[in-house]
Amino acid sequence: MTNHNANPSYVLQAEDVAIHYGGVKALDGVSLTLAKGQIRGLIGPNGAGKSTVIDAITGRRRLTRGQVRLQGEDVTAMGVVERRARGLSRSFQRTSIFAGMTVRRQVELASHKMGVTDSEGDADMVLRELDLHRLGDSVAEDLGYGEQRRLDLALALVGRPSVLLLDEPMAGLSVKESLDLAQHLKALTSRWEVSVLLVEHDMDVVFGISDAVTVFELGRVIASGAPAAVRADDRVRVAYLGSAA
Amino acid sequence: MNLSRLSLTIFIALAIGGALSLLISSSTVLSLFTQAIIYALFASGVGVLLRQNGMVSFGHALYFGGTGYGIGILLQMQVLSAEWTILVVLLGACLVAFLIGLVVVRVPGIAFGMLTLAIGQMAFLSVSRARGATGGADGMNIEWPSTLFGVSQSVLFKPAAMFLLSWCVLIVVLALLSLLLRTRFGAVTEAVRDNEERARFIGISTLVPRAAIYALSALVTGMAGVLSALNTGFVSPESLHWSLSGMALMMVVVGGSKALWGPAAGAVVYFLFKDVLGELATHWMSIFGIVLIAVIVFFPTGVAGGIQRLMRTRTAPSAGQPRTH
Repeated sequence: MTNHNANPSYVLQAEDVAIHYGGVKALDGVSLTLAKGQIRGLIGPNGAGKSTVIDAITGRRRLTRGQVRLQGEDVTAMGVVERRARGLSRSFQRTSIFAGMTVRRQVELASHKMGVTDSEGDADMVLRELDLHRLGDSVAEDLGYGEQRRLDLALALVGRPSVLLLDEPMAGLSVKESLDLAQHLKALTSRWEVSVLLVEHDMDVVFGISDAVTVFELGRVIASGAPAAVRADDRVRVAYLGSAA
Repeated sequence: MNLSRLSLTIFIALAIGGALSLLISSSTVLSLFTQAIIYALFASGVGVLLRQNGMVSFGHALYFGGTGYGIGILLQMQVLSAEWTILVVLLGACLVAFLIGLVVVRVPGIAFGMLTLAIGQMAFLSVSRARGATGGADGMNIEWPSTLFGVSQSVLFKPAAMFLLSWCVLIVVLALLSLLLRTRFGAVTEAVRDNEERARFIGISTLVPRAAIYALSALVTGMAGVLSALNTGFVSPESLHWSLSGMALMMVVVGGSKALWGPAAGAVVYFLFKDVLGELATHWMSIFGIVLIAVIVFFPTGVAGGIQRLMRTRTAPSAGQPRTH
């Protein structure tokens, strides 16, 4: 499908995306973009529609209206598997791994499904990047929580996706673990030129590593721009950060 | 288990089968063993479905009795040689199961079990009433030719030969399953079983692998049906009844489904109870029921799971060490 609004400089474009459940507007005309290598933080109160945006972009939920384009190609009608094959990857708010499989077997499988020829080598590299290589032969359900979160990330990172959607990747981690992982992610995605959409409640993490921040309230975007500008926005202070922010 | 260990295990298992067929002189004992092995294969089919898809079927007797009827009817019609009939019936069962699987594996949990039950009972009732083709409730005799795969009936149908054949088929099927499930296909089905949504998000189309496992489990069960048809030369509607599927499921629960050999171990336990305890107590099933409850409560991973845990505890250098595959 041809669209005149397609902008090739964006890796990801979501335009006027809406998801309605009867009278409830979970998302209502959301538009956002990701440039190559950019990290965009998504913040907002619980129920604002941040995770729903990720579900909409990845094809997990059907859109009421709007379009999603990946590298200029309209992927709105495509399913999850087709979008993944085109380089759109995600992690989950609740750790989503293959509990009964060993770490290496599942990461290697994910890499193979991404079409990587040397899937063993790719899996090894990702496991090293996330400091999981020593746990390669362990069954996933035996890992600690922090390790399982990193495994979730590893599954999303294999095959070097062009766009990575991270849904609260730091959830349940200690402050130090969160900051360490955030800095590591920043360095890794910059090196691999992966564009990242980051949903996260930890403001230090979001404002620390994002190139741009988008603020949601009740399924709509109320502010978007550079982190400093968003932090200074009065509507954001009132709606989410609090007047003292 | 690595490949050389697997090869050694297969070799030892086949040798044990050969030795038993020579050492056991009683035809009755050999016949009982043969029956146990055939049901071990049936249970292995049901177990593969539970192990790889996490799905419980209450209707796998469809493929056990179905292959028997398929062979009986085709041999009666004399359209193919017996050897081709076996092949066609097994492939047919596999194909039918794949097509049924494409529909039923979409349904999760207990609803899947109920669907398999409904399909199985539909077949049971149809066969019971199609008197002209199937002999109805009386069942039908299977007219095997005088030689099969170059072996004469007088040799093949001897209790020792039937025992050895069934034993070898069981061992070879378990070995092939073990090899198949080590491949990427095995990894895909494990991933879909563990977390279907995540599987889709790493690029796996989840329907076909689940339908393929359903078809594979039907094929294994169908092979048990063919062996049963060879062993008894007879097939009746009871071989399609849900109670037979339930019996296979009990064997899987008792044996455990985490190890491929678990359901077969469950079948051995079941037949031990049936044949040894059945001699002493009329209501041996109630005693087996108590065992079943005890296994579910105290050994949820079954006999095989218990043995594996014991072996791990004995070989692990320290407690709390992560498990590896």
